[in-house]
Amino acid sequence: MILFAGAAAAQVPAPTNPAPAPANQPATYAGSEACQLCHEDIYKAFQKNPHVAVEKSSKRWGEGRGCESCHGPGSKHAESTSAADIRNPSKLAVAEADQGCLGCHLNQPTHVGRIQSGHARNQVSCVTCHAMHKSAEELRPQRRAAINAKCAGCHTAVWASFQRPHKHKLPEGAMSCIDCHNPHGSLLPRSIRTVAANEPGCLNCHGDKRGPFIFEHAPVRLEGCTACHEPHGSANPHMLTRQEVRFTCLECHANTPATMAASRTLGGIPPAFHDLRSPQFRNCTLCHVKIHGSNVSQDLLR
Amino acid sequence: MKILLALLMALPLAAQEKPPAAQETAPAAQEAPAVAPAPQPEATVTGSVDVGYQWRSNVGGSLDTYRSVVNLGSGPKLMGLDLSFESATKRWFDRINVRGYNWGDPYNTAHVDASRHGWYNFSFDYRNIAYFNFLPSYADPTIGNGIFLDQRSFDTHRRMMDFELELMPGKWFVPYVGYSHDSGFGRGITDFVSDANEYPVADKPRDKTDNFRGGVRIELKKFHVTLEQGGTTFKDDQQVFTGDQNFGNRSTPLFGQQLELTNLAQSYGVRGNSIYSKVLVTADPFSWISLFGQFLYSRPDTTVNYSQFNTGQFVDLASLLFFTSELDLVNAAAKQPHTSGMFGFELRPMRRVRVIESVMTDRLHDASSAALNQQILTPLVAAQLADFTDRLIRNYSQQQTDVLFDLTSKITLRGGQRFVWGDAETQGALISGAVTETGALRRQVGLAGVSYRAGHGISAGVDFEGASGDRAYFRTSLQNYQRVRARARYQPMTSLALSAGFSVLNNQNPNPAVKYDFLSHETSFSAVWTPSGGKRVTLTGEYTRSNLRSDINYVVPQDFTTAPSSYRDNGDEASALADLVIPGFGAHAPRLGVGGSLFRSSGSRPTQYYQPIVRFTTPPYRHIAAYGEWRYYGFAEPFYLYEGFRTHLLSVGLRYTR
Repeated sequence: MILFAGAAAAQVPAPTNPAPAPANQPATYAGSEACQLCHEDIYKAFQKNPHVAVEKSSKRWGEGRGCESCHGPGSKHAESTSAADIRNPSKLAVAEADQGCLGCHLNQPTHVGRIQSGHARNQVSCVTCHAMHKSAEELRPQRRAAINAKCAGCHTAVWASFQRPHKHKLPEGAMSCIDCHNPHGSLLPRSIRTVAANEPGCLNCHGDKRGPFIFEHAPVRLEGCTACHEPHGSANPHMLTRQEVRFTCLECHANTPATMAASRTLGGIPPAFHDLRSPQFRNCTLCHVKIHGSNVSQDLLR
Repeated sequence: MKILLALLMALPLAAQEKPPAAQETAPAAQEAPAVAPAPQPEATVTGSVDVGYQWRSNVGGSLDTYRSVVNLGSGPKLMGLDLSFESATKRWFDRINVRGYNWGDPYNTAHVDASRHGWYNFSFDYRNIAYFNFLPSYADPTIGNGIFLDQRSFDTHRRMMDFELELMPGKWFVPYVGYSHDSGFGRGITDFVSDANEYPVADKPRDKTDNFRGGVRIELKKFHVTLEQGGTTFKDDQQVFTGDQNFGNRSTPLFGQQLELTNLAQSYGVRGNSIYSKVLVTADPFSWISLFGQFLYSRPDTTVNYSQFNTGQFVDLASLLFFTSELDLVNAAAKQPHTSGMFGFELRPMRRVRVIESVMTDRLHDASSAALNQQILTPLVAAQLADFTDRLIRNYSQQQTDVLFDLTSKITLRGGQRFVWGDAETQGALISGAVTETGALRRQVGLAGVSYRAGHGISAGVDFEGASGDRAYFRTSLQNYQRVRARARYQPMTSLALSAGFSVLNNQNPNPAVKYDFLSHETSFSAVWTPSGGKRVTLTGEYTRSNLRSDINYVVPQDFTTAPSSYRDNGDEASALADLVIPGFGAHAPRLGVGGSLFRSSGSRPTQYYQPIVRFTTPPYRHIAAYGEWRYYGFAEPFYLYEGFRTHLLSVGLRYTR
């Protein structure tokens, strides 16, 4: 029996039991093996997480302190097993918890290296989206379907828009939410991702709308694609904000020379020979084919 | 005794791994004291492969609408491939992940990433998306004659790929390079527009964008800097050729002349390039303050060569000249310097208080010029040479202050303000009589919010924005608005999670010349129930109700009278899935999934769209699962009955998991 026990002990390294810390002394590092004794399942799952690199690194906290790099020194907790004696980021105020992550992750490939935008203002912490104790895929989902499911968990109404017939192909797995949005924040409203430094992320795929055009259509530059389109999904063709093209156009292009100063908005009225009773004129883009901007025609006709 | 114990401890390990032959023959090893050989790591391959076949029934109703909305067809498919290779030696890589989905469908993707700790991270991403759009309700002036076509339709592909290589990840100095490629090609229908008539013709669009970038991230203890320099090249070629007689959309003669197009050769050659620079800085000089800033600059340029030669019967309405052939040449160029900057800080004067201040500006100036050489060749040679210049200027700035106060460890209050201002200048429409139109933006926004997080999976938050603006760029822009968002989550037990959300946006432009009134609100609920960790049953359900009301007056172009434009959209969206494990089969129990989604809306464009689904999976062996899936797509629009469709999709396949 003693021999068998000895063999078993050889397979599992003996935990380094920390010396008990006096009550008035700050806790010291106990090492991840001490954590493993009670939190075996978490420890095992953590071995599949990219943060296990911290465990093997001698930088910052020292080798074998992967757990304590986020949870802080754990000698007191190891002794008392009380939750009050250990730092639990999920129980901390969001800003305080995020400080722990940003200690290493400042200036990652986000715009300013920290959580901005509505996520920060609404107390959405890093660990809300990034599972620290699980696999690499759950820490930072790579599969588009997994990313979309993660976002849809909170943004239910937005995901519902993708059930509409005319939408970007997210439910089909061709795109994910983060193709257009940067959840860590962006220069642009609604955390719209930017490409080529400061251009809206829409142009990443719609390069032909990028320009600069010789003759620009002002709303494309002043208000962006959402001036006319519902990018999440719509019942209207081409994801337009209105059921027919003419209403999308005419709601802005309703300034006569006389009313332009009074309305204090951009958008002159189309010529008077546009007789809307003729089906030919009910769709403005039949003639204004280069509605996003033209390189040839000032009236965006070709 | 110690030697005996060491030998005994080594025994189980030695039993697991056969010592390498080299060790047996090495004399040094024979003379050395007994040491437990380290277990030899093995390369591992894990993941899954999912292959199958899909049948689509005949599409009832409009095949074109089906292709515009769904576009799935019949044939063999690689539904999914998800493999991970872990290196035993970790000499060249630690891990390589390979993923591919939906090969055989119109939307397919591939991804490869490889990494070696401390040396490199590499990723490659590929997407191929087919876009088909042919919806007669969108652009069909002939629908009154019973002819269903869409003069703005297309059948194109977009292919995107992206490479990125990061060196020495985790070190303080991290260089990286990247390359992205995006191309689109296909065919479509567009209109060739001539005075008093437009002619639907086939066109071939083709565009390509390449992006090259390189940079370095410097990560030190107190500050971090990213410097990136990049460049983009762009090419857009569109060609239209037709030799068929085409009477266009005007069926009646104009002043006794029947307008027609007999030949057209139209070619756009657009070339563009752009350089850009990006600087991002964050710093934490003291525990009570964090600083962040960024500077972004890009300068896209384009040059354009356009040629057009058309024959037929045309008219120049300005001079009432009828002519039979025309040659147009355009040379043009445009530049668009675009500068953005942002600076901010987070101040933590007290433990419970944070003040976040940010100021940003975004300045875009577009200047262009074009030279047109228009020659009317017959019946007389008339040449028109014209130079055009155009410009668009946009200056946008924003200052925002947020104060966050942790009332308790569970409740955080937020208040703040945002001031948005800007100006714009653009070329006005010729008919408006103004050479240049100018617009301004002024908006003062109040911000408030509260968030509550408690134990037992309870969290809730409310967010409010209220704005008072006196200038907006467009009649439908945000001006005086109130936006409220509320969200709550409750997890009464590990197996049950409930959430609810509500949002409302009310926007008004009270200017008597505009009178815009917009109100939208959305309410959503979701529930996930996974008793026993989903071993027997998993139920998920979501429901969203959305309402949108928009009223504004517009000017009817033909008589300058005012008419109301009212838009209504009241939608119900629901999706649900019940995933059941069929009992009585032990470890190889089949699973049955039943659910789907529906969308019904009323209002300006009533629509019904149903997608029920039934899925059956059975694992006959440990690593293999066979499955079958049935889907139904049903789409109907009462105002556009000719666009409805319905079809069945049946898929079967095998999934191998290791």
